[in-house]
Amino acid sequence: MKLEIRDMNDARVVVLTGEIDLRHSPTLRKTLMELMFERRNVVVDLSGVTYIDSSGIAGLVEAYQMARKGTNRFVLAAISESVRRVLQLARLDRVFTIADTVEGALN
Amino acid sequence: MMRIMHTASAVPSANAPDHLDLIVEMTGDFAHSHDVEATMRLGLERIVERLGAEAASLFLLDEADGTLVCRASLGPVDVTGLRLAPGKGIVWRTIDLNAPQMVKDTRRDPDFTNVIDGATGFVTRSVLCAPMSMRGRVLGAIELFNKKDGHSFTQTDSRLLQVLAASSALALINTRLVAAMAEQEALKRELALASEIQRAMLPPPQPADSPIHGINLPARGVSGDFYEILPLPDGRLAFAIGDVSGKGMNASLLMTKTASLFRCLAKREDGPGRMLAAIDSELHETGLAGMFVTMVAGVLDPRTGRVVLANAGHEPPLLWSQGRFIPIEDGMPPLGIAPDLFADGCPESVVDLDGGILYLFTDGLTEAHDRNGEMLGSDGVKRLLDAFAVMPASERLAAVVRSVEGVGTLRDDITLVVVEDGRLARGGGFERRYAARPETLAEIRAAVTGVTRELGCPDGLTQDVVLAVDEACQNIVRHGYKGGDGDIILQITRDEDLLVIRLMDFAPSVDMSKIKPRSLDDIRPGGLGTHLMRSVMDQVDFLPPPAGIGNLLQMVKRIDTR
Repeated sequence: MKLEIRDMNDARVVVLTGEIDLRHSPTLRKTLMELMFERRNVVVDLSGVTYIDSSGIAGLVEAYQMARKGTNRFVLAAISESVRRVLQLARLDRVFTIADTVEGALN
Repeated sequence: MMRIMHTASAVPSANAPDHLDLIVEMTGDFAHSHDVEATMRLGLERIVERLGAEAASLFLLDEADGTLVCRASLGPVDVTGLRLAPGKGIVWRTIDLNAPQMVKDTRRDPDFTNVIDGATGFVTRSVLCAPMSMRGRVLGAIELFNKKDGHSFTQTDSRLLQVLAASSALALINTRLVAAMAEQEALKRELALASEIQRAMLPPPQPADSPIHGINLPARGVSGDFYEILPLPDGRLAFAIGDVSGKGMNASLLMTKTASLFRCLAKREDGPGRMLAAIDSELHETGLAGMFVTMVAGVLDPRTGRVVLANAGHEPPLLWSQGRFIPIEDGMPPLGIAPDLFADGCPESVVDLDGGILYLFTDGLTEAHDRNGEMLGSDGVKRLLDAFAVMPASERLAAVVRSVEGVGTLRDDITLVVVEDGRLARGGGFERRYAARPETLAEIRAAVTGVTRELGCPDGLTQDVVLAVDEACQNIVRHGYKGGDGDIILQITRDEDLLVIRLMDFAPSVDMSKIKPRSLDDIRPGGLGTHLMRSVMDQVDFLPPPAGIGNLLQMVKRIDTR
């Protein structure tokens, strides 16, 4: 997994690439938690993610729940096929705010 | 101790009737010396000086022939080495009565035998002799001749010599004990070295995909058992298992020789029958001193699954085939019994594995005891092999041995060899062991991707299966081993249109009532893995783990290629 953070408009964009499994999910979770504590709007760019497991999804769920309690936004953008499959299996595709593109998520 | 010694030696001997200083000095000499002879001589010198004797001899009982041997001697005539057969004489009387003997005038004692005087010109006037004894055990005696002052020995002299002789006895016993311990230590080190060399001679662990595996557990350092696995130039595999009669060093030396002969001859002789006959003939060349060897030799052709076996007096190998065990009974007497027994060779049995498994073992296994103290016997061995059947071959052997090892002290070496039909493993099955760590999950996913594709799964299905296996492994890492060290064994097979995946671990058993998919309306982090596995696979079940060790998860998915 590679993780990059860019500023775009009023949001922080977390760009994830590669495989996200138990080895990497603690890093992802920590990053997302820190951004949530800063009360920033966060967009997670998942276009380059080739694999995500339940531990990675768990990090996304935790961030989503924190955002819902606050006023900042948490959006998943440009999800790859493999991410979509796992979200569907977990029936979380109906829970998250999902945008087709990063630009779309910012509007 | 030091203080007593100092005080005692500062007191002039004439004023020290208990002569404690001398006792302390002599005990110290014995304790510090490894040279018993020199110490006994020094002790004798001190005694002679203190009691003012003209001559002295120290006799010890020779337990081998029951005579008394002079081990130290002082005075004008050196009688060291002189042997006194049981009989009369002052020394023997001292030993027989286990009490000091004082002869004030030798001319009046009928027991005084003048062995030395006549030949040497020494005239013995008086004798004092005390037993070297400790708790009724007599080791020998110390004999003094003539007081220098011309008088006879006194009762005080007698008491002193008695004490000194007794403490010499104690010191001698201690010295002998220490020597025996040192010898035992040296022997132990030698045994450890021999055991190490022997272990180095056993075949190294075979690669996981090898059709033959073996294990050896020596009962007492060095083993009389052996096994061999040897690739032949034409692609076949020769193997053998053997047990040398007797135990300990001799047995293990013969074992080493037999194993070397097998390695040498397996490549030269065609067929296990001729191998055994050739080994028998070589063994007779050098003589066996009443020992013999039971042995099974075999050759597996991995391309056909055919095994050719020859048995010389060994436990019949067991063929597991279609749910039952069949003993392969044919065989000859053991090797090394009589020179011409194998002159016409050794009959061979042909076994087609046909998906079955051949087990060879030594009687150390059948005669091992289970946790209830019962001897395993042939039925117990079958039960164990069945219990661990789902495990990969090398794991299975280790598990079988482990389950009898911890029960008590092993009475005999245990050796076990398994021969499997390698064609099945290569025909589409996959089996590998991984460390249960987050870092290995990527490697596991790559392996599952490759294998499931090769087994004919379409890409979408492969992705789902990879997810299910990854989630299951994650559960083992996080909840099974809880972050600690451990292994995961992954098996993937295809049975008709079913993809069967088994994951085995050695973590504490999972409470199955706690493994349930969470309600999806309850959105919270974690707890998703089991749900994902169940959504993706057709069946997810915890099977009874092999004999209660760890967990065995089986996941099945129908392969739909339409």
